[in-house]
Amino acid sequence: MSGSLFARRGLFVAAGAAVLLPGVARAAADVGRPAPDFSGVDSNGTTHTLDGYRGRPVVLEWTNHQCPYVMKHYSSGNMQAQQREARAKGVVWLSIVSSAPGEQGHVEGARANELTASRKADPSAVLLDPMGRIGRAYGATVTPHMYLIDARGTLVYKGGIDSLRSADAADIPRATQYVRQAIDHLLTNRPIPEPSTRAYGCTVKYSRTST
Amino acid sequence: MRFLAALVFALLAALPARAQAPVSAVAETENVRAELLAEVGAIKPGQVFRMGLHQKLREGWHTYWRNAGDAGLPIELKLTLPPGFTAGPLIWPRPKVYDLSGVVSYGYENEVLLMLEVTPPATSPPDTIRITAEATWLVCEDVCIPEEAKFAIELAVSPEGRAAPAEVQRLFDAARRAVPLASPWSARYGVARNGDPTVVIDAKGLQADRLSELYFFPADWGVAAHMPRQNIVIGPDSIRIPMRKGDGKGKPPETFAGTLVMTEQTGDAKTVQAFDVTAKFDASFQPPPLSTSAAQSELDLWEALLFALLGGMILNLMPCVFPVLAMKAASFAQFAGASRRRVRMDGFAYGGGVLLSFAVMAAILAIIRHVFGGVDWGFQFQNPVFTLLMAYLFFVIGLNLSGVFEIGGSFVGVGQGFAAREGSSGSFATGVLAVVVATPCTAPFMAAALGFALTQPVPVLVAVLLAMGVGFALPYVALTLTPALQKVLPRPGTWMIRFKQFLAFPMYASAVWMIWVLVQQSGADSVLYALGGMVLIGFAIWIWISGMAAGRMALFGRAAVLLALGTALAATVKLQPGEAASTEATGSGVVMEGWEKFSRIRMNDAVAKGKPVFVDFTAAWCITCLANERAALETTATRRAFEQAGVVKLKGDWTKRDAEISSVLKEYGRAGVPLYLYWPPGAHEPRVLPQVLTEALVLSELSQVPP
Repeated sequence: MSGSLFARRGLFVAAGAAVLLPGVARAAADVGRPAPDFSGVDSNGTTHTLDGYRGRPVVLEWTNHQCPYVMKHYSSGNMQAQQREARAKGVVWLSIVSSAPGEQGHVEGARANELTASRKADPSAVLLDPMGRIGRAYGATVTPHMYLIDARGTLVYKGGIDSLRSADAADIPRATQYVRQAIDHLLTNRPIPEPSTRAYGCTVKYSRTST
Repeated sequence: MRFLAALVFALLAALPARAQAPVSAVAETENVRAELLAEVGAIKPGQVFRMGLHQKLREGWHTYWRNAGDAGLPIELKLTLPPGFTAGPLIWPRPKVYDLSGVVSYGYENEVLLMLEVTPPATSPPDTIRITAEATWLVCEDVCIPEEAKFAIELAVSPEGRAAPAEVQRLFDAARRAVPLASPWSARYGVARNGDPTVVIDAKGLQADRLSELYFFPADWGVAAHMPRQNIVIGPDSIRIPMRKGDGKGKPPETFAGTLVMTEQTGDAKTVQAFDVTAKFDASFQPPPLSTSAAQSELDLWEALLFALLGGMILNLMPCVFPVLAMKAASFAQFAGASRRRVRMDGFAYGGGVLLSFAVMAAILAIIRHVFGGVDWGFQFQNPVFTLLMAYLFFVIGLNLSGVFEIGGSFVGVGQGFAAREGSSGSFATGVLAVVVATPCTAPFMAAALGFALTQPVPVLVAVLLAMGVGFALPYVALTLTPALQKVLPRPGTWMIRFKQFLAFPMYASAVWMIWVLVQQSGADSVLYALGGMVLIGFAIWIWISGMAAGRMALFGRAAVLLALGTALAATVKLQPGEAASTEATGSGVVMEGWEKFSRIRMNDAVAKGKPVFVDFTAAWCITCLANERAALETTATRRAFEQAGVVKLKGDWTKRDAEISSVLKEYGRAGVPLYLYWPPGAHEPRVLPQVLTEALVLSELSQVPP
């Protein structure tokens, strides 16, 4: 049935017997599976790891302050409000900037802090990921791309911030706020209704040379 | 009421500047020039006509298809029509793939015309009507800008209607050619245990070598990931499209729709064809998963390095390496004092030599990888030819390990020379030599390891090979540092041979596995080709090692070896759709309904009688022919026009390279099908129609029939 899988195993039986090279490959972030661990430095130089937050739910928010879709949710105050709500409930909120140097939305620590202050944002930390390592590990493709990881380290939500895929802030009140919905359900031990949704926004401005 | 209307008007006028701007058929933003177009100059009551949003994009920028991919948003167009008018859904031309640092999206560059059909009421009185439209789109280069525009056009309604200006007509004609046709084939899809979907399109008798740049654009998000490239396999009975799973959750939907785009090399040109495919979910079909590729998964580097290190150490156990190592170890143990220091220096020099050899190997592999691109086993294993070659490779490696044949000559002498070498000056060279000398017994393993390394990004490739080098040098270097270690070394002996022979069995098992995979891919017959090929390979090796390929019988021996190996390799061809191989059993697949079979006599006869004659030279494997038939030759309007004009319709089926048809193709300078000839009534010379037909073109040809 799964010929290719067996073919690969076949190759590794051979390769493994010979030189014991493994084909151990880690899958990209998938809802219902353990979220990839990561280690990232924030705008103040502090290192954060996912394992370090074991025991608390964690939100990952991919961001790029120059992307119109990110602006939609910051100029309307929607993102900041959700950050405050989530943190008040004990959820860790990490905003992640995966824009490479020279690309749109790339920031250094000082600028990231300025943006947080001027936008009255309230994330637990802003992680700087200029090499796109965390972004690639999670398969983040757009800003904003949102992830929710439960206290045991399982990815429970991946997708968009809300259900109306537009650049128009007027759509926000009419949209289902997927992240808020996911957090509410997670914290009340109910199954998350839409655990994987289509994210929308600008492409993450990864480094051109990385894959 | 009037007051209320005035108030509403005043409020509307107070809306932001954009709404106030005079609305015309053209809207220009920084990156897009957009125009609302109609395919008529004047509307004929009751007659459907097309409208469209035409975008000219700044170079390097693109807008998005209905499924925008990983990022982006589809173009949206909302028409406001006068009462009684209705509009159909948007008609999307085939998109292209954009890969921005691994984020894949689907869209359009340069220009695009999104069409829709508008039905005016049959009772419209002559008048001028106004149609307005609102459009939004996201236009991206590296950065993305959401844009919106409003349009208005005025169109006359007249009883006869009027055609659009020629340049507008051309835009619509071009857009029509880019719109996917309904798939002529049925399709199904299955989902692997890990969720990876594979679509199978039941297209028989296609020729893989005519088709290139195939891509399946999923119509919706969820079932399949948006991949930068797909490895679509064209088999004798089907097109298989293995994909990685998307982010959708829950049960696979009943249907999985998408657009298959491909480029066909017809006799003389390349044409792009697109088909809308709707695959039905088939629960009984469980395809193999598409293995995670380098782009989507990351190898646990430390683990790979550890195993590479171990692998390198195991190489020391090979029969042509181990005795040397043991001998050297024994000699180290006798040294003391200054000699010990020299031995240590020797050890490091040797290690340096080994590492250099592995570094050179890594460099060569990196170059190969750069030139040929990364090898992705997941993709390759979908290809039956590759699977068969892998089966052969494992079989041959197994034979080698079993001792059936040896690579190269005798190494005992070289090995002894290497052991006898004294002094640190030669040690570096000895390290290099050790890697080379060890090749005969390490080659099979190295082949597998190098193949694996080729799938990895260059830094990983280099790291893995250097780790192997360290592993290879480690026991020797360790012995020079601590000669006492030699006590724990086993004595060289027959166990080395046994160990090597034992390793043959995983190889044979792998070959069996490959054949099993092959059966999944190519059907039961492939067992015959694969096992027959192995018999021939075994035969060739026997002739070679028996010495029959040298000496008096050399010519015959070598010819036999070549013949056997050639035949074994030729089996791969049988796995491909051979020329008309599969169509012979099932009939060619060309539909003749409504057409007479072509013969030169019939053609000449009809032309001589002054009748209008249309000849369609086609083949079952010619997708452009099929597309032309669907889009232009077998539409209701064309059939009616053929009938009204009393055209003699002849169809030549070139699926099996019919000689009579070949001669006609040659006369008209064509290397292959499609070829369309049309003799208007009384004409002596035919008009040669283009390779890509549109309904409008055929109708206009037929309308030239004199009354």
